[in-house]
Amino acid sequence: MAGREAVKRAVQQVRPILSVDRDEARKRALNLYKAWYRQIPYIVMDYDIPMSVEQCRDKLREEFVKNRSVTDIRVIDMLVIKGQMELKESVEIWKQKGHIMRYWKESQEPKPTDFLSKFIQGVN
Amino acid sequence: MAALIRSLGARIASAALTAKHVVPAGTAALRLSSTAAVDAKAPEKPTIRKPDAAARTSLSDFGRYVAECMPKYVQKVQLTSGDELEILIAPEGIVPVLQFLKDHHQAQFTNLVDIAGMDVPCRQHRFEVIYNLLSLRFNARIRVKTYTDELTPLDSACEVHKAANWYEREIWDMYGVFFANHPDLRRILTDYGFEGHPQRRDFPLSGYVELRYDDEKKRVVCEPLELAQEFRKFDLSAPWEQFPNFRNANPPAEVVEPAKK
Repeated sequence: MAGREAVKRAVQQVRPILSVDRDEARKRALNLYKAWYRQIPYIVMDYDIPMSVEQCRDKLREEFVKNRSVTDIRVIDMLVIKGQMELKESVEIWKQKGHIMRYWKESQEPKPTDFLSKFIQGVN
Repeated sequence: MAALIRSLGARIASAALTAKHVVPAGTAALRLSSTAAVDAKAPEKPTIRKPDAAARTSLSDFGRYVAECMPKYVQKVQLTSGDELEILIAPEGIVPVLQFLKDHHQAQFTNLVDIAGMDVPCRQHRFEVIYNLLSLRFNARIRVKTYTDELTPLDSACEVHKAANWYEREIWDMYGVFFANHPDLRRILTDYGFEGHPQRRDFPLSGYVELRYDDEKKRVVCEPLELAQEFRKFDLSAPWEQFPNFRNANPPAEVVEPAKK
């Protein structure tokens, strides 16, 4: 009896955002990836960014892989919704060149990892 | 003295006015207000607004009526110290309650003044979404409050009030509350490519990134924010009391109990 109560407390009934199970969430993420993948040549052409289509596709993959450990369906849905909004902003050319180039973080130097470079930069 | 008499007369007149509306409690209200006028010699604090008893009774009656009409959704009805009626509802009930308040003949809250958000990170449902409604027909205002957390979608009020469209986009942009069935949910205030929701309490005042024009690249670049240490410490405590006049002010909200059977 106590075990059932504990399960009831642990498994909380929540309202889904879009997807009701993992397969659906996965399908949405893949669809978003495909949509981005197909739009990349046009984005490169429209914004005239100094990047090749392959580089952009690598970056796209990197952005998706960054969230590979997310397992909560609702978090996946929220990320997919945000990615969809971003795709629309890119495709409709609401963004500008600088916004697209932001994904590469060109002006940021990578943070030092080993002791000596940390010491030289004064970071610990 | 003349001013005292004049205020006494005004009070009795207003009491008579309320007596016209509230028939059973008419004489009692008159006696009460006249005694209040007599011992009004006590030092008054004009900074604190006096509650309007007549408005409060009619508002609490209306709140009780709404709670009786929609018992499934209305969780609590309260009156603020500024004589405003607040209806606290479950998140599923946004559309039905707003539709009821809009279409009911005795309410006619057809005007959506504003939708506000509130973030209290310690709560289980950390966001509050507050709908401010205005009834032009009855010159009345009402506030409908509901709650949600980061991942629970709310129903969009767009199908009831067209004005909700941009307000909900603003809430989405500032707090990250998702509105289901919204016709055009996208950012409205932040820049394209902005990450995060700036009105959340855990979003730092200075933000995470800064923009600058890069002369070599001939465009604006975005970099993580670096602040010197002295700007990072904010001492927010003050040695003096901020609002001494409000030390004994009315309680912020008073719960309207449902009518007893």
